[in-house]
Amino acid sequence: MMLWRQFAMEWRLYSRDRVAMFWTFAFPVILLLGFGTIFRDGGGPKLSVVRVQAPAPGPQDAALDQALTDLQLKVQALPKAEAEARWARGETAAQVETEGTGYRLRLNSYLMAQAGATAGLVNQAWLVAQARLSGAPEPGRIPITVESPGRKHSDNYASFLLPGLLGLNLVSMGLFSVGMVNVSYREKGKFRRLAVTPLPKWIFLLGQVLHRLTVTVVQAAILLLVGRLVFGIQNQGSFLDLLLIMTLGTGCFMAFGFALSGFAETSEGYAAISNLVFFPLMLLSGVYFTLDSAPAWLQHAVAAMPLAPFLRALRAVFNDGGTLAGHGVGLAIVAAWGCAAFALAVRRFRWA
Amino acid sequence: MSAPALRIRGLRKAFPKVVAVDGVELEVARGEVFGLLGPNGAGKTTTLEIIEGLTEADAGDIEILGLTWAKQGQEIRSRIGVQLQSTSLFNKITPREALDLYGSYYPKRRSTLELLDLVQLQEKADAYHITLSGGQQQRLALALALVNDPELVFLDEPTTGLDPQARRSLWDVVRRMKGEGRTVMLTTHYMDEAEALCDRLAIMDHGKVIATGTPASLIAELAIPSVVELTFEGAAPDATAFSARLDQAVERRGDLWEIPTPDPKALLPRLLEAAEVAAVPFQQVHVRRATLEDVFLHRTGRSLRE
Repeated sequence: MMLWRQFAMEWRLYSRDRVAMFWTFAFPVILLLGFGTIFRDGGGPKLSVVRVQAPAPGPQDAALDQALTDLQLKVQALPKAEAEARWARGETAAQVETEGTGYRLRLNSYLMAQAGATAGLVNQAWLVAQARLSGAPEPGRIPITVESPGRKHSDNYASFLLPGLLGLNLVSMGLFSVGMVNVSYREKGKFRRLAVTPLPKWIFLLGQVLHRLTVTVVQAAILLLVGRLVFGIQNQGSFLDLLLIMTLGTGCFMAFGFALSGFAETSEGYAAISNLVFFPLMLLSGVYFTLDSAPAWLQHAVAAMPLAPFLRALRAVFNDGGTLAGHGVGLAIVAAWGCAAFALAVRRFRWA
Repeated sequence: MSAPALRIRGLRKAFPKVVAVDGVELEVARGEVFGLLGPNGAGKTTTLEIIEGLTEADAGDIEILGLTWAKQGQEIRSRIGVQLQSTSLFNKITPREALDLYGSYYPKRRSTLELLDLVQLQEKADAYHITLSGGQQQRLALALALVNDPELVFLDEPTTGLDPQARRSLWDVVRRMKGEGRTVMLTTHYMDEAEALCDRLAIMDHGKVIATGTPASLIAELAIPSVVELTFEGAAPDATAFSARLDQAVERRGDLWEIPTPDPKALLPRLLEAAEVAAVPFQQVHVRRATLEDVFLHRTGRSLRE
């Protein structure tokens, strides 16, 4: 009863703050519409190579250009001066230029992930071009398929983007907005009057977590609806599984926010503390780069972090139509982090 | 019902730069209105917040309704009512919602309508908190302090910043609390408020209780029931020479002279004669009864408002 009132009042007060509510629901939709439209055709960004135009193009140059295009590289042919200017601006990942009777490939050391992949394709294209010029049989190629871990792949970039947006939004809401609001309310003395009532801290905090949980569900529902109407993205798995994953994830990251707010005296202090947690969580989650070359102890530590298993389960259900069967351990990790964070939040919570 | 409403022994609280509460001892009987009177910074609010469980004391024992914070914190919270010096609620909560919400925290509660009626906020029942005037917010805070039908109510400077009419109506609410058998402990730096409302009071200064008693007994202890005040057009002249001539203490307080006396009837003719001779350019002579202000002045050498 007490919990229900706390929860209902949170929602009521929240619904009166129109500006905050609008941004909570509109921001992820705007991101989805923006990125989804930019990369509408094809599966996300394409590899490209800058081709410095030869002073007097011969048949060899024509054959190479043809082979590059056949291998699905985006070729940008530029005169020497323009190509050099572009290189100097740092916008080029890989550049092919004539040298003597052959060619030279320059790779940008700052963009090695793209440049490395491009280099492989350029070399392959050169082999194809040489074979065509000499009339020899074309070298055979191993066929490539692009697949998600659940063996499904949509060419629609927005469908890849959507679960990531859902997850990222939830983490940033938990770590940044929820915790920050909590600290600033405490600074303004909004909780002081509650300290002299018998209201238990855990009910107060759980009421807020439940409120945020339902906000996230509404937020996700809006995003899914827009994704479906505008981009035709379908949830491949069951909605019940999706709800369960979102509930666990939201509960976990909201609890993180509340726990961290117990360690900050001021809003400024909170900004520092939340970044301290956010960046390792993101960078070590395996979302941005794989950690295959990291030391073993770090890999073990990272395996026990909550963000990666949460995102994996979310994508497996949403994009691949999988079930939760293979994600039991991962979701248990998320739940365990959530419970530990909530216990810490209750322990550290101060009314004033 | 044998235990007193409140019993405090050897209460002490030091902050990094100041000892806010320095060995306070108090006892408040059930059903009385007890006042803590003192200037700003005397330690009244700190004392009250320690009793309410908001601040931890460095030393001392507190017994509230026969209960202690260490053992029966939740029971104390459910049986006391608190109005903080400033009650900061969410901007967009309405009085009705706030009373419903806070009421839901307690096992025993009074109806929201009855409370709105008591503090005359029926018309503002559904207005956002941020749109209420200072007096209305203060009255809502008072209603919140009564939401659990408390036995003991703490009011921290309940009338500071209110206009005279709002103060009177707040006094009426406090008197009704007493009429309903509640014990009330309030802090104030208005001596007229302490005199008008309190059965007993403690005067605090620099973290210490310097006097305790009923307003009447504290004034009687002064043995100077009256004060003659002389006012001037503009600033008062220096009183030293005149004091010697009159053979009576004459104190300069701002723009007036004050002459404490047990017998104003005998003093007045002498005073007027001496003033005539010395050509003191006074405007008005005013005889008044001694007040708690004089008690404070007498004990500390300073005015309450300084």
